[in-house]
Amino acid sequence: MKDRLSELMDGELDDKSAAEAIEALGRDHEAVRTWRAYQLISDAMRESPVLSADFSARFSARLAKEATVFAPRASRAPESRRWYAVSAAAASLAAVAFVGWMAFGPQPQAPAPLAQVQPAPAGELKPTIVPLPTAANDYLLAHQGFSPRVSLQGMAPYVRTVSEQAVEPRK
Amino acid sequence: MLVAGLCALGPAVAYAQSPETLGWLRKMHDATQKLSYSGTFVYQNGSRSETSRITRFVDASGANTEKLEVMDGLPREIVRTKDTVRCYLPGSRLVKVDRRTERDFPALLPERITALARHYDISLGETRRIAGYDCQAVVLTPRDNLRYGYRLYADVNSGMLLKAVTVDAAGEQVEQFMFTQLTIGGVTPDMVKSRHASRSWRVEDAGAAPAQLPGWRLSSELPGFHKVIELKRRLGESRSAGQVVYSDGLAAVSVFIESLEGRSDPVRPGLSSMGAIHIYTREVANHVVTVVGEAPAASVQRIANAVEYRRPQ
Repeated sequence: MKDRLSELMDGELDDKSAAEAIEALGRDHEAVRTWRAYQLISDAMRESPVLSADFSARFSARLAKEATVFAPRASRAPESRRWYAVSAAAASLAAVAFVGWMAFGPQPQAPAPLAQVQPAPAGELKPTIVPLPTAANDYLLAHQGFSPRVSLQGMAPYVRTVSEQAVEPRK
Repeated sequence: MLVAGLCALGPAVAYAQSPETLGWLRKMHDATQKLSYSGTFVYQNGSRSETSRITRFVDASGANTEKLEVMDGLPREIVRTKDTVRCYLPGSRLVKVDRRTERDFPALLPERITALARHYDISLGETRRIAGYDCQAVVLTPRDNLRYGYRLYADVNSGMLLKAVTVDAAGEQVEQFMFTQLTIGGVTPDMVKSRHASRSWRVEDAGAAPAQLPGWRLSSELPGFHKVIELKRRLGESRSAGQVVYSDGLAAVSVFIESLEGRSDPVRPGLSSMGAIHIYTREVANHVVTVVGEAPAASVQRIANAVEYRRPQ
């Protein structure tokens, strides 16, 4: 089906096959998701403005934290018409990431050297460790009631409030 | 190569779980709703361990009241009825009150138990005797590193949860709850009343009510965690705050948003931890954002870093 949708997008199907593919879109949710992902990618390649204004900045920030190094060969991506190569399962997030890369990432003629892409340590910057907030108990009490876990365990999780021991300064 | 990388994010997989395993989770859920019991349990995280008494009374109509008394450290008594949680703090002669309609509690409903299999592999573990009860272990192993894993031990006969262990990605224990004594039945309504109930202590009512928080959003949600409720409330004596709760069906993360205006104590941005609970604080748009959740530190931090404010159009 993915091949068919890809061909449909590229106008490579004859009328009968096209009608079948379109008919499939009317009943198959998975096919619709795939179709949308292909459209997004297509829009990005044509530089249609489908993304919010600050997408680039946010995407760049996330890309910088991304452990996976995306460093495709410069000439490959724009030539690729294999829409179906993007797994439909990855459509929602990954397709947007892909689109973001296509739209705002390093341009094909000036690819980023591998060394410049720094994989972040374990996916996230190391946080500053601070003592529990002075109002920690207010937050904890307000939070516990919303844990679905209470349905399995009753009130026991409410014990997770700060006692005297816990508010002693840490080393 | 890029495309290959994207595909590596994984194909859709059908997560079939055995009906027997899910049946155990339902049994635990039902026991929690239907049984009257009283017992003593120990909560342990790292070197900290605290003993508490817990008593639950379910009347003939199914309405239930539950009382938790913390025996170690700061004295606390918490009583929860269908729509109200009251926390009695004898040290400061204070009662904190939180009222909600029952539908606002994102309860783990039996029909949602099946959905847990999307985020956790659920299997049966060993059988073990705990506090005199023969227990069956149900093991929830997370399918990613965004959430903790759990080992839940339930009484074979009643389904009552006797022990719950939270484990991290390395399989190390993060915290545990374990009954050291439990009596099922034999509870009277008096036993779930707070002994401080008649005192005229100061009352702090959270005044929580579902509400929209215009302009506040997450730039990206954490996979599997969906927004379950958005409300306004008070924290402590008078601080007005927004609270948005995200959950994967078992673990929950709350985002608290408070204005910095009129705040006297300084904000300490960063991460603090207590057992499986992590708290991450940062400033966003002249507000302090405090994210509290029973999830790995990186998950709590990711949600905190995704909080953004956009002036409503």
